[in-house]
Amino acid sequence: MAQAMAHRVQRSRRRAIVNHGGLLLLFWILTAISIYPLIWLVLSSLKTSSEMFGNSWAFPEVWQWDNYVQAWNAGISRYLLSSVIVTLISTLLVVYLSAAAAYALVVLRFRGKAAIYALILGGLILPPEVALFPLFQTLTWLGIYNTYWALIIPYTAFGIPFATFLIRAYMVKIPIELSEAAAMDGAGPLWSFRNIYLPLCRPVLASAALIQSMRSWNEFIFALSFVESENVKTITIGMMSFANALRSDWSVLMAGLVISIIPVLLVFIVLQRQFIGGLTQGAVK
Amino acid sequence: MSSRIHRIVPYLFVLPPLILLAVFVYGPAFENVIFSLHSWSSINPDWEFVGLRNYRQLFANPVFWVSLSNNTLYAVISVIVQVFVALGIAAVLSAGIFRPRLNTFFRTSVFLPAILPVTVVGLLWQLIYQPSIGLIDQFLFSTGLGNLSRVWLGEEQTAIYAIILVSQWQWTGYMVALFMVAIAAIPTDLYEALEMEGATRIQQFRYVTLPGVRESTLIFTVITIFGAFKVFDIVWVMTAGGPNRASEVLGTHMYRSAFRDDVVGYSSAVATVIFVITICVGIVQLMLQRDE
Repeated sequence: MAQAMAHRVQRSRRRAIVNHGGLLLLFWILTAISIYPLIWLVLSSLKTSSEMFGNSWAFPEVWQWDNYVQAWNAGISRYLLSSVIVTLISTLLVVYLSAAAAYALVVLRFRGKAAIYALILGGLILPPEVALFPLFQTLTWLGIYNTYWALIIPYTAFGIPFATFLIRAYMVKIPIELSEAAAMDGAGPLWSFRNIYLPLCRPVLASAALIQSMRSWNEFIFALSFVESENVKTITIGMMSFANALRSDWSVLMAGLVISIIPVLLVFIVLQRQFIGGLTQGAVK
Repeated sequence: MSSRIHRIVPYLFVLPPLILLAVFVYGPAFENVIFSLHSWSSINPDWEFVGLRNYRQLFANPVFWVSLSNNTLYAVISVIVQVFVALGIAAVLSAGIFRPRLNTFFRTSVFLPAILPVTVVGLLWQLIYQPSIGLIDQFLFSTGLGNLSRVWLGEEQTAIYAIILVSQWQWTGYMVALFMVAIAAIPTDLYEALEMEGATRIQQFRYVTLPGVRESTLIFTVITIFGAFKVFDIVWVMTAGGPNRASEVLGTHMYRSAFRDDVVGYSSAVATVIFVITICVGIVQLMLQRDE
């Protein structure tokens, strides 16, 4: 039995050496599939439309930076501004409110704690699509349809369950004695939340903020349904109007697509390790 | 008096989330179920209780069944690629087979599509699928496979597959990163013990990695299925359910019914079906996470 095992080990080791080259090739192909479409996008955005149709593999003959000027002037800056505002405010709200809730759930004693935590977590199960039309009516009724708040508030509400789950899992590991000692010295819960827990939780708050900003930045169905004026549209929906207006002018459209991904792309390239680390937080214990 | 304040304080911390969830998450979801039992439209704004009529209409509508089967197809393909293929990729990247810098480069590259907004991905792939001038057709023509060329998004047989493929392109790298976190959590001495016995990498994968990521795999499978049944955005951007409603999914069917066809009660019934499916999937997820 041991002999058979050893034999098998030897055989598969020989095979492993042969496979290594194949594996390398496979991974280069995977990489090419992942990033070549983006390279093609950037190259095409710098060509004239007719050049793009002619030979889409080649470098541009003359780099058409003017495409970018045209795309920018077509109103992308407005969409970007809306996205920044909505993302920033909803992220701050989600992180602060979730951290406060997580703090109470971990440190403070009160009745109904388990039920309240279950209620908050339960929000994870509800897909936003399910609430779409009633939510649309609620927002209209509140008079905030077609304003930034029509996006900020639903993003916050739907973002809280996961953020609370994430932050709570981190807070549980902080020794409870810290806040107990502070309480003995007469510090109230708000003081120990702000001065002990928030600073200690900085890493997980950063992850929660990153995850929420990606969600808010990329959100689609609410942004499609709850705002309609061009000056409140976020970049995801704005690009749809932009594309409809530019159906014929492909290279300008592609320049617009490039502009719209530059902010996130820059952050990703500079912070890729923290980025991937942060986005995969909470998926695995 | 101060003790009463002390008793109230904890609730102040959890109150804002609870109010937000009640008004903007649970409330609308509950209302949706009520809506689905009524007939309502903006032209005829009188509420009329119709019982299960919307559901009967739904089950009699072929578009609903097309949508449901497209979602199922979406789920099956996504589980195969984003769970099993991604696990394989993650295992290779975690095993330290390539040089560290190359390894990081591969991981970052496959992750990259996950950070792009769905509109950009959808529009980009519309261009890639474009007949004769898009990247795919150019590739086919230049390799002599021109006769395979199709109007990928414009033909009923291929549209949904073309969309599902884009979704795999965007999300597989993200799942790879998730699996790499799961694999990194496996104690390294398990690998070392096997390595001392002379086990190959494939055997290490078989006897250490696979059992080690079993629970994560279950959870990722559930998350992937969850995503497949509530998908809306990529389909809406790429085909809006066309051609001839062949690539419709439950999400687009629901959206179109409410915001285009103005049959709100019917749309709510579709939403309730999505809700029931995802709640089943979600309960399984919560149970798995608790076990862990």
